[in-house]
Amino acid sequence: MKNDEKNKSKYSVSKLSLHSLQQQMMNYLTDDKSAVAQHVVEHGGISREARLHIYKNAYQMRFKETIDNDHQILGMYLGDDLFDQMVSGYIKAYPSNNTSLRNFADSLPTFLANQIPFKDYPLISELAHFERLLMVAFDAKDANHFTREHLLEMPHKHWPSLVFRFHPSVQIAMFNFNSVETWQALKQEQAPEPAKQAANIWLLWRNNDRLTQFRSLSQQEHHLMTMMLNGHDFASLCDNLLSQSPNEDISQLALNYLLSWIDDGILASH
Amino acid sequence: MANNQPIDNMTGERSLSLSNVPVPEHFLGFGLGLRTEHFQDVLNDKINIDWFEVVSENFMVDGGKPKHYLHSIRELYPMVMHGVSLSIGSTDPLNFDYLRKLKVLTNELQPEWISDHLCWTGAHEKNSHDLLPLPYNDEALNHVCQRVEQVQEFLGRPILLENVSSYLSYKNSTMTEWQFFNEVARRSGCEILLDINNIYVSARNHDFNPQDYLNGIAKDKVKQFHLAGHSDYGDYVIDTHDHPVADPVWQLYEKALQRFGWISTMIERDDNIPPLVELLAEVDTARNIATKTLGSLG
Repeated sequence: MKNDEKNKSKYSVSKLSLHSLQQQMMNYLTDDKSAVAQHVVEHGGISREARLHIYKNAYQMRFKETIDNDHQILGMYLGDDLFDQMVSGYIKAYPSNNTSLRNFADSLPTFLANQIPFKDYPLISELAHFERLLMVAFDAKDANHFTREHLLEMPHKHWPSLVFRFHPSVQIAMFNFNSVETWQALKQEQAPEPAKQAANIWLLWRNNDRLTQFRSLSQQEHHLMTMMLNGHDFASLCDNLLSQSPNEDISQLALNYLLSWIDDGILASH
Repeated sequence: MANNQPIDNMTGERSLSLSNVPVPEHFLGFGLGLRTEHFQDVLNDKINIDWFEVVSENFMVDGGKPKHYLHSIRELYPMVMHGVSLSIGSTDPLNFDYLRKLKVLTNELQPEWISDHLCWTGAHEKNSHDLLPLPYNDEALNHVCQRVEQVQEFLGRPILLENVSSYLSYKNSTMTEWQFFNEVARRSGCEILLDINNIYVSARNHDFNPQDYLNGIAKDKVKQFHLAGHSDYGDYVIDTHDHPVADPVWQLYEKALQRFGWISTMIERDDNIPPLVELLAEVDTARNIATKTLGSLG
């Protein structure tokens, strides 16, 4: 018998539509409740259940590896058992609906903030949130940075009316726990401090060398940045500083802030 | 590089070749899948490589370091784009958000061609991110052909489809994979990326003769070969792309060259990524087998 004929004879007649077949296969991959096995050819030394399991195993491993890659420090914090519990729960709760695995774990902070046992330890969700923000900064849109040269080329009389624009990678995030410090300790392979509640604000961005960076923000700097986001000009920032610290050299303080933002690479040129 | 050889205007084939086998115009030579681990080495070193293939989805981001490297490398080498999310066989509507991103990246990179897989990756708005096999029957054939035509119209160019490795087949198939594949190419006008390793893997898993697969594919439709490694578990083989190309796959590559002639060939490694020099050695192996089989490019 020719090979083509031999292959053809393996298939019995089935009228299952493509739509139904795909639905049953996806049901099998996502929650086990599926009769797809009856539509799979039994052939050779491995059972159809074993054949299907190759896909099921790959489905779970692919998402586990994705979360593992995206959230390495979170994984260290949780340990293997809790990490596996998180992964299996998240895969079931948030099946991928995106064409890129880059976005698969976007809802992980929300999942951790709402699911037992993770929600009882809010630092865990914050760790996941921080790691996702690092990813956002890493591949955010490119833009030319605003440099000291740009500033010097500008006539001094125009400085008060300058409105600064952030580089697209800039993220400002508020945390209620010592989550970023915990992340830093684990990154340096040190034991983190116990979780403690304390409001803190962090700036994340991609610097002039395209490396992701972060640092904490004071209330004052955060307020200035919020003003910038709302379109206030440099003169308004200086007025705000003056109202808060009437006895300080405001022009020097404002210039220091501006130069640090320029040197850090958080401002974009217009 | 072979790509610089003058082209015969009448036949579209390169004329300066010591090989007895004509070299088609679209022949790019011997390439490699570009991986982030090798960005710096590719830019720093002078390497013996003719072209790179990039995974389209990896660069559907707004900016950042990987994209910066991608554009720097594109200035030095021809590129082709290879996607994993087209899901051409899915019964979900075509994802035009995805296709728009693909088109934007295509405009940025100006690749020699774009490819994806003859499979489906998800349905009912859930994505498995796996290359799931289709049933090979008339319903699926009509469905795929109609969608390939829509995609090609949207992108304004033909696409290449690649055969996937598979671990199961469906009872409602009425033809072989190669009959199905060939018919998709004939009816939709798409071209073929033939993955030699995938043919080997599927042949082992479904007990068919890989030579039958090669013989069943139209000679003038194949534009690219993939070569990759797999994991052999005895009763079955899994397409893991984390090992060097196995000997039986090299042997099948030689047979594919005998049938299809000079076809742009590349090594596809996705996991357990070794130093660049090791992959370049595999590219050299492919080049040597092609030269031995088809003659020298001159």
